[in-house]
Amino acid sequence: MKLQQVNFAIVASICAFILIGVVGIIAPAFHYLPAINAYTFSLTPWVTLFNTPEFVSSITLTLVSGLAATFISLMLAFAAVAAFHQSWILRFFQKSLAPILAVPHAAIAIGLLFLLSPSGWLIRLFTTFERPPNWITVQDPYTLSLILALVIKETPYLIFVILACLPQIKANESLNIGRSMGYHSAAIWQKILLPAIYPLIRLPIFIVLAFSLTVVDLALIIGPNTPSTFAVTVFRWFKDADLNERFVASSGAVFLMILVFLTFLLWECTYRLLSHFAKKFRTQGVRHPTLSKLYPWVGSLYFLLLFFVSLAGIILFIWSFAKRWRFPDIFPSRWSLANIERNGDLLLDLSGNTLFVAIVSTLLALAISIVVLEVKRINTLNTTFFDRLIYLPILLPQVGFLFGIQIFFIRIGFSGHLPAVITLHLFYVLPYVYLTLHGAYLAYNQNYFIQACALTQKPIRSFFQIKLAMLKAPIFSAFAIGFSVSIAQYLPTLVAGNGLISTLTTEAVTLASSGERKIVSLLALMQSIFPLIVFIFAIWLPKVWTPIRIHLKTRLSKPFPPTLSTKK
Amino acid sequence: MVLDMIKKMLTLSLITTGLSYAYADNWQATLDEAKGQTVNFNAWGGAENINDYIEWAGKNIKEKYGVTLKHVKLVDTADAIGRVLAEKAANNVNNGSIDLIWLNGENFRSLKENNFLHGPFSNDLPNYRYIDESSNKSLTLDFGTAVEGMESPWGKAQVIFIHDTETLANPPKSMAELLAYAKENPGRVTYPEPPQFLGTTFLKQALYELIADKTVLANPVDRVDFKQLTQPLWEFFNELHPVSWRSGTTFPSGSEEMIRLLDDQEIDVAFSFDTSAASVQISKGNLSDSVRSYIFDQGTISNTHFLAIPYNSTATAGAEVVANYFLSPEAQLQKQDSTVWGDLTVLNYEKMEKEHQALFDKQPRGVATLTLENLSNSVPEPHVSWVKALENEWRLRYAN
Repeated sequence: MKLQQVNFAIVASICAFILIGVVGIIAPAFHYLPAINAYTFSLTPWVTLFNTPEFVSSITLTLVSGLAATFISLMLAFAAVAAFHQSWILRFFQKSLAPILAVPHAAIAIGLLFLLSPSGWLIRLFTTFERPPNWITVQDPYTLSLILALVIKETPYLIFVILACLPQIKANESLNIGRSMGYHSAAIWQKILLPAIYPLIRLPIFIVLAFSLTVVDLALIIGPNTPSTFAVTVFRWFKDADLNERFVASSGAVFLMILVFLTFLLWECTYRLLSHFAKKFRTQGVRHPTLSKLYPWVGSLYFLLLFFVSLAGIILFIWSFAKRWRFPDIFPSRWSLANIERNGDLLLDLSGNTLFVAIVSTLLALAISIVVLEVKRINTLNTTFFDRLIYLPILLPQVGFLFGIQIFFIRIGFSGHLPAVITLHLFYVLPYVYLTLHGAYLAYNQNYFIQACALTQKPIRSFFQIKLAMLKAPIFSAFAIGFSVSIAQYLPTLVAGNGLISTLTTEAVTLASSGERKIVSLLALMQSIFPLIVFIFAIWLPKVWTPIRIHLKTRLSKPFPPTLSTKK
Repeated sequence: MVLDMIKKMLTLSLITTGLSYAYADNWQATLDEAKGQTVNFNAWGGAENINDYIEWAGKNIKEKYGVTLKHVKLVDTADAIGRVLAEKAANNVNNGSIDLIWLNGENFRSLKENNFLHGPFSNDLPNYRYIDESSNKSLTLDFGTAVEGMESPWGKAQVIFIHDTETLANPPKSMAELLAYAKENPGRVTYPEPPQFLGTTFLKQALYELIADKTVLANPVDRVDFKQLTQPLWEFFNELHPVSWRSGTTFPSGSEEMIRLLDDQEIDVAFSFDTSAASVQISKGNLSDSVRSYIFDQGTISNTHFLAIPYNSTATAGAEVVANYFLSPEAQLQKQDSTVWGDLTVLNYEKMEKEHQALFDKQPRGVATLTLENLSNSVPEPHVSWVKALENEWRLRYAN
């Protein structure tokens, strides 16, 4: 009963939160913002929006980069899985997923920036220019570098999602049957498996699409700037010193929400259309599709992504310890630790904030997820309202929603404090933690817990000592994912912290384009190392937990029984 | 007649002495009130040397006046403006979180026009006597917005250009020369993207050089023929962009990025609003020691940055004491030291006492920092309305 009430309170507060954010952005979009004495509803923000010089070009860039990045990531992921299924290559790819997913996207973008720019490492390594060529290799007006950064970040996620649904569609069985009927594996993937996978991963694809269309930090670092993608343009309006810019910013943010929704529709319609026409080809009985040779080629591109990520990581590391590193030197001419010494206090401060926010928000998200899942288990496992609601934080564009929340936070005097930052992080961490924990938690054999209760008569203790202890592996993975999501948050920290609280991420993004390559690299490096460590622990701890616990217990309890027994 | 005059003079002098007494009394009252207060100083915290300077000042202020200075390090000053706005929205009119804020230009205008400021106060600060308002227009007109005592001057900035003597011995010293240089060396010249303030400043600098009658720039933009006046400017950029860095498709984010590009030799000329930027970056290992700074022959844009007090501050007296201390010769001298910060003083040399003048005379400069004399050729900011007009037109033409 009590649990039900807590669950209700959780759902209600998430709903209220979303409502406040959405209303907070829609009202100023129609010129209602009491803070600066604007009480009259009007359409002027929209007229201004449609008349801004960069409106059309900015939207075009957003659509091109968002759609291209999603489509390319999806094709790469499909091809990699289809071409290398049951081979060592896919197992190798699989091992690379967690680290890439763990590293914050800002860090990857910063690494790429230092790698690809005309004075970057690639040109230093592979050309003999004495001065950097006047090439446009990053922040290009065609968004190619932005698309590359997005693809690097999204492909591993999609591979992960596809692999997760293979058992569900009985991929191995289908492959065996198909092969026995003379079909080439590529044909089976193309005709049977991929069409079966797509509906299962539709939501993750939409998450990727929404992210690509609305991302701010990544586009700030490596995206074009005359004009910028629409999300960045809106973000700039919000940050303008002229408070009247908030109106056009708000209408822009609302427009972005609509745009994302329309893009979903467009994507879905295209899919339906394609799958309708593809039916004919699928049933023609062709054993060797002409495209079959393409799969390994496209799939191998994933190696290229890995290559970029590795070099990006290495260059961040080198810059962190460089004192002087001029073009065209391949390595720094002078190394030093001064970078770390001089910025020691700053790094300590930022890391403290970052870790505190990440740990607290993830622990809260775990607690909430467990409550909601317990209630769902009791309520016969039907898909709940919460199951649908939880996707909203991921799908709503941050740039609009958060600025809607901002005014509310300040109004209640909440802004600029750590609890505010933790609250916003929780909002974005919770979906990932919940979705990660969902399957394993509900699949738990409740009989263990019932037995334990029957034996000890202590349900709460049994819950922790038996049920949660048995679920420690999924709980640790959920924690690791939540933690890395929190570390990566840029806009939520900025909006809730109100310029008073900074983390490794906000500082790294702010400084990314500045001259301070050394400190930026150091920030990005630290930002990547924390989630990596947590991921390693999440994999390693569950395996050794019980042995270590038993070992400790026996060592701690050993001294007493012998002394007692000797007395006897 | 003569008697009359003497009488007048006497009364006048009486009034003035009375005034100065009242004035001193008032200031003593402010000092008394300030004792024990904590001043939340919201200032951009992105540069370590500036943060250290503020910490140094905080210690002295604590010792001298018993006021605690708390530096709230901002990522972006606009965040603080947003906070004042939001506090107003939340009806928080006497318990604000900001007591003193470092700003100028747009941010000041925004706060002043919305009546979000405490004051006038700056003209009554004791150390304001060292200011010579006639020496620089930007002391009374902050990007064209009348200061009217609502903010207290803190430091002076001027555009300086930076070049590496090893790659470029004779740098271009006017917009025309810059364009000629770019045509000979495609891709080696650029400027930050407006509305970044240094980018906008570059537009103003170019306009100032390309326009025949420079006095029109002091007028509001809606009273001049903007289209016709700025025609030479857009022709200039139309020629410059195809031969500028990355063919004018992308622009740096600000001075720091330009300095990085200069060091990478992607570009040949960088510029900054911080006159000691080159020296500071050399000492950090970010520029080679053959780098020097210079200004254009016709002079470069200069402006003043200020300290203001939000209307809902809980420590206005303390904030005034802090603002006054920052105006003192002692604090201004320390600030101008290029190993500390290198920010130019706003005080007038002639108005200072002899002993202070001597200290300023003795002050060492960084290897790549110009002398005050070298910097004397400065150009005022145009009326504030030009900013938006130039930025909009620029974005309309080049950002879509």
